[in-house]
Amino acid sequence: MNALRHHRALTEIWGTPRGWRGTMISVNHSDIGKRFILAAFAFFAIGGVLAMLIRAQLATPDSAFVGPAIYNQLFTMHGSIMMFLFAIPMFEGLALYLLPKMLGSRDMAFPRLSAYGWWCYLFGGTILIAALVLGVAPDGGWFMYTPLSSKIYTPGINADVWLLGITFVEISAMAAAIEICVSILKLRAPGMRLDRMPPFAWYLLITAMMMIVAFPPLILGSILLELERAFDWPFFDPAHGGSPLLWQHLFWLFGHPEVYIIFLPAAGVVSTVLPVMARTQILGYGAIVAALIALAFLSFGLWVHHMFTTGIPHMALGFFSAASALVAVPTALQIFAWIGTLWNGRPELKLPMLYLLGFFLVFVLGGLTGVMLAMVPFDGQAHDSYFVVAHLHYVLVGGFIFPMMAGAYYWLPHFSGRSRVPRLGEAAFWMILVGFNLTFFLMHLTGLLGMPRRIYTYTDDMGWTWLNLLSSVGSFVMAFGFALFALDVGLQIALSRRSRRNPWGAGTLEWAMPIPAPAYNFASQPEVADRDPLSGDPLLALKLARGEGYLAQARHGWRETMAVDSSSGAIDHVVILPGNSRLPIVTAAVTGCFFLSVLMGYYWMALLPVMAVIGLGWRWAWALGSRADVGPMAIGKGQTALVHREAAGGPAWWGSIFLLVADSVLLASLLFGYAFLWVVAPNWPPPQTIDGGLGVAIMTALSGSAAVFLARRSEASGRQGSLGMAGQTAIGAACAHGASAIGLLVIGITALPPPSNHAYAAVAWVLLAYGILHALVALLCAAFVRARIGGGYISARRFREFEITRLFGDYSGMVILIILLCLFMPSIAL
Amino acid sequence: MMLLARASMGMIWWAFGFSLLYALHGLGCANGWISVSLAGGSLFRWILVGIWLVLGFGGAIVIRRAWIMPVGFERSLAVACGIAGFFGTALTGTPLMVSSTC
Repeated sequence: MNALRHHRALTEIWGTPRGWRGTMISVNHSDIGKRFILAAFAFFAIGGVLAMLIRAQLATPDSAFVGPAIYNQLFTMHGSIMMFLFAIPMFEGLALYLLPKMLGSRDMAFPRLSAYGWWCYLFGGTILIAALVLGVAPDGGWFMYTPLSSKIYTPGINADVWLLGITFVEISAMAAAIEICVSILKLRAPGMRLDRMPPFAWYLLITAMMMIVAFPPLILGSILLELERAFDWPFFDPAHGGSPLLWQHLFWLFGHPEVYIIFLPAAGVVSTVLPVMARTQILGYGAIVAALIALAFLSFGLWVHHMFTTGIPHMALGFFSAASALVAVPTALQIFAWIGTLWNGRPELKLPMLYLLGFFLVFVLGGLTGVMLAMVPFDGQAHDSYFVVAHLHYVLVGGFIFPMMAGAYYWLPHFSGRSRVPRLGEAAFWMILVGFNLTFFLMHLTGLLGMPRRIYTYTDDMGWTWLNLLSSVGSFVMAFGFALFALDVGLQIALSRRSRRNPWGAGTLEWAMPIPAPAYNFASQPEVADRDPLSGDPLLALKLARGEGYLAQARHGWRETMAVDSSSGAIDHVVILPGNSRLPIVTAAVTGCFFLSVLMGYYWMALLPVMAVIGLGWRWAWALGSRADVGPMAIGKGQTALVHREAAGGPAWWGSIFLLVADSVLLASLLFGYAFLWVVAPNWPPPQTIDGGLGVAIMTALSGSAAVFLARRSEASGRQGSLGMAGQTAIGAACAHGASAIGLLVIGITALPPPSNHAYAAVAWVLLAYGILHALVALLCAAFVRARIGGGYISARRFREFEITRLFGDYSGMVILIILLCLFMPSIAL
Repeated sequence: MMLLARASMGMIWWAFGFSLLYALHGLGCANGWISVSLAGGSLFRWILVGIWLVLGFGGAIVIRRAWIMPVGFERSLAVACGIAGFFGTALTGTPLMVSSTC
């Protein structure tokens, strides 16, 4: 088959139909990635307009441009949009678009999950923007502190919009995080060992792992606050044993790592673009990876520095102050590696390089003020002032926007297939750089002169007038710079001449394909022997197009891509990915119905979409698999490999592991909250604790253990080909999980006080609900396996679904034991 | 994944130690453990300092174990993270020596 016919055959398999139908059903990573990027930029523009309104209000003293109620919505939505609807989705989009191409793969590990995440992001973001248009947008600040965001002080639905809308959007972030981890660990080109991965993949891997650990505390906090607002469960109400500080802990457990979650992907862009601009290789690859790991861990030990003024004991402040200063070390190590790379090479002052120089200037300044704020006495002075506003913008704009602009110009030829329009981009750069520094450098001074953040106006005699006016002027200069950037990109896409392949002379694999990229990325997949495959073999793109790599055949309409051993990069198996589907958009729409029902207060009606999501989830899993064994199949170069359904450690198994890690972090956060309230909150011990129910608890624990045992027996029988026995034991496991769920419910009804009485009872009920939910999930998994046996999808060769069922069954059994111990041990001790 | 876990052991040890010290500090302050005096300080402070020293010793063992790994990328990462974890434990624990307890 010649290259053109091969291209047509692969496009037929991997492509997306034109028109609305294609838009609805596409699961291709390039489509989804581009949509994320475009939507994130649109949200960035909305957030930017809100910033302009804020600056217009503050430009002069005693301004009557907007009143305090509108102003509260403006700054809350500006922060929320930039954090949740722009920064995270923008990097997700870039990751989804670029990762498979850089790793020598054809798609991400879970294409339908990418599409589901995209639709959740779009629908969730739309809810938030619609609330803004309707005048009911969140208005309690982007970190929604209680009691301000509690029902008594925010009686409308403003806070609910934030809690539910952001949680809806976070589904997409969690989906992307799991997707990125599994794709990087498994779907690489053969031969790409971990130490041969491009630096960008390392940055994204560490970032995605951080997201898996960082987002669950916020999701939990949002659930608890929504429960308090909807049903008066007093988690944050000190009069009933709650604590507003619990919200701050949960929020900043997410919020501080979030800063690094935003910075690290952009730093990955720097580590990718800088060596190409300097015409050399990155200096200190191993040291950078070690610094990344250190940064990821340390970033979880800093959250209390956002709470230095809440009255925490000095010694604890000292722990977090030291950790906050320490985190500058791995960050600085990366800065020095980049400077060393520049020193080592022959830098060219092209447009991406200009943005990188802007990044150095702005981010280093932001980092230095960060070290100042890490010192407790200084923080006490500058807390909640415009100094903090200046610092966070220097870090986030310097650490995210400048590198991403460099990346935008670097990869635009890849997206559009066209070269850039001269000079317009340089003009935009200077406007953004000058405008940014005029706006935010002066805010340091405004803050040191005592101007608190979030005030909607000030009087002339405060002495802040000229600083605010200049900041406002600078912000408009910056806004025109971004508008010019958008115009530049538009002109490049619409009018510019075609770009040659690999215009920058880069060595990474995303340039080893035609631009714009075809739907399947590579006509055949490469074998990688070093970190810059294209530098080592400039004819690689041609060879791959000729079909001289792996999986050169287009067969059976299968979307095939190689999976490798996560460390060594040795060939593991072939993954057959699912094709285009309506399931993601339908499931996201139904998920949206759930959030809207809760937002409107129709709680019983919310059960309908829950049932529908369960049905769609069943259908989602059912659509995969095969009723026939495939066995070893040819992959090219005279080699064979199994398909993922018949091989150990496939993407679904890895995805389940990461999902359960996120799930267990949520449980750990809940237990942290439980312990925190016991130790710190007022009105503890509770007046009424669990009373009786020990017998039922023992039966429930035994039932959970029996379910674990039966699920393992079922798997063992399946492996041996005894499908009848496997099916019967799976039914037994499902029944045992069901009994556990009922047992937990009985304990709640018969032994616990009502949840609105005290924070103890509220947390205990949430623990029980968590256990019941997981027992039901394990029940569904066991029932699914039984149905799959009946449907002929399982054989002695195709038994991997048992492994995943066992994972969820084991987790459910363990969770039930932990919950029962947490409920009964304190009351026994009392 | 096991490679990453082994390579990150130094930082995992730091995270464990940091969480342990913070949790014990919260528990001790809430339950009045500071009231028992010993050798010019409180028994509570000496216990925390003792745990800190044990954590430092554990960090040194992590570095030693990384050092004897086969030469390669994993060893380099493990040694670097071990050293980072050790100094992290040392630095973030210094408030135990210098600041008021509760």
